[in-house]
Amino acid sequence: MIEHQSLFLALAVTLFFIGAAGAVVRRNAIIVFMCIEIMLGGVNLAFLTFTRTTQNLDGAFMVMCIMAVAAVEAAVGLAIFFLLYRKTGSIDLEKFNLLKW
Amino acid sequence: MLESMLLYLAAALTLVTSVMVAVTRNTVHSALWMVASCFLLAVVFLFLRLQFMAALQVIIYAGAVMMFIIFAIMMLNLRVNPGRIQLRSTKTAGLVLVLFLFPALLLLLGMGRGIAALQGQVSLRALEQFGEVPLLANVMFSDYLLPFELVSILLTVGVIGAVALAKKRKD
Repeated sequence: MIEHQSLFLALAVTLFFIGAAGAVVRRNAIIVFMCIEIMLGGVNLAFLTFTRTTQNLDGAFMVMCIMAVAAVEAAVGLAIFFLLYRKTGSIDLEKFNLLKW
Repeated sequence: MLESMLLYLAAALTLVTSVMVAVTRNTVHSALWMVASCFLLAVVFLFLRLQFMAALQVIIYAGAVMMFIIFAIMMLNLRVNPGRIQLRSTKTAGLVLVLFLFPALLLLLGMGRGIAALQGQVSLRALEQFGEVPLLANVMFSDYLLPFELVSILLTVGVIGAVALAKKRKD
């Protein structure tokens, strides 16, 4: 058991939900993207807290995988934003509603 | 005592900057708040005594990913203000769901007390003696060699995919 474990975990959960709320509400695609990064940051913090709590480095390896996936996501996601912008002249997510019911 | 106060300060600032990322109207300001948030999260990692992870957080998030995003903002020329945040019915439903799940998960955290019984193979003494880099390398290149290679393949595929998506078509 490490000191302040519940503080770290509560911070992780709060970050995750700040990101989730932002990703649900915002219309600007880039800001939605950054909110998703905040969610990933919260998950990373939870993994690292449990890495220290259980003294097991599996969580730390998982965090490195998450960081790699976040980098790939940034590259591919921003390429998709370029395509959207080239097609419609905007990255307002309200305008991309073909899949909405 | 001092460390606790600094930790509380870092945690509070992380929350404030993250909220600012989500509510700021201007995209560039939002990106700058995100850089601050990444740095402060790295500070929180330092309080977990995981220096290497804090360094990675700064290098990858505050360095690479945010540079991508700022480049994208620059190239997309987002000077047009997207307007106020409008709450539609689906968004309100999503927000209510999020606000309901948040206290539920916090409550769940308060119940989880049995985790300390699981003691892993990496002792705290080893962590303090060697730092996490050799220990992590040991795990990474033995137990997790295959996932490690798969991540490298994923990175290659991501780079190629990004270039293939974003390049101008000839036709």
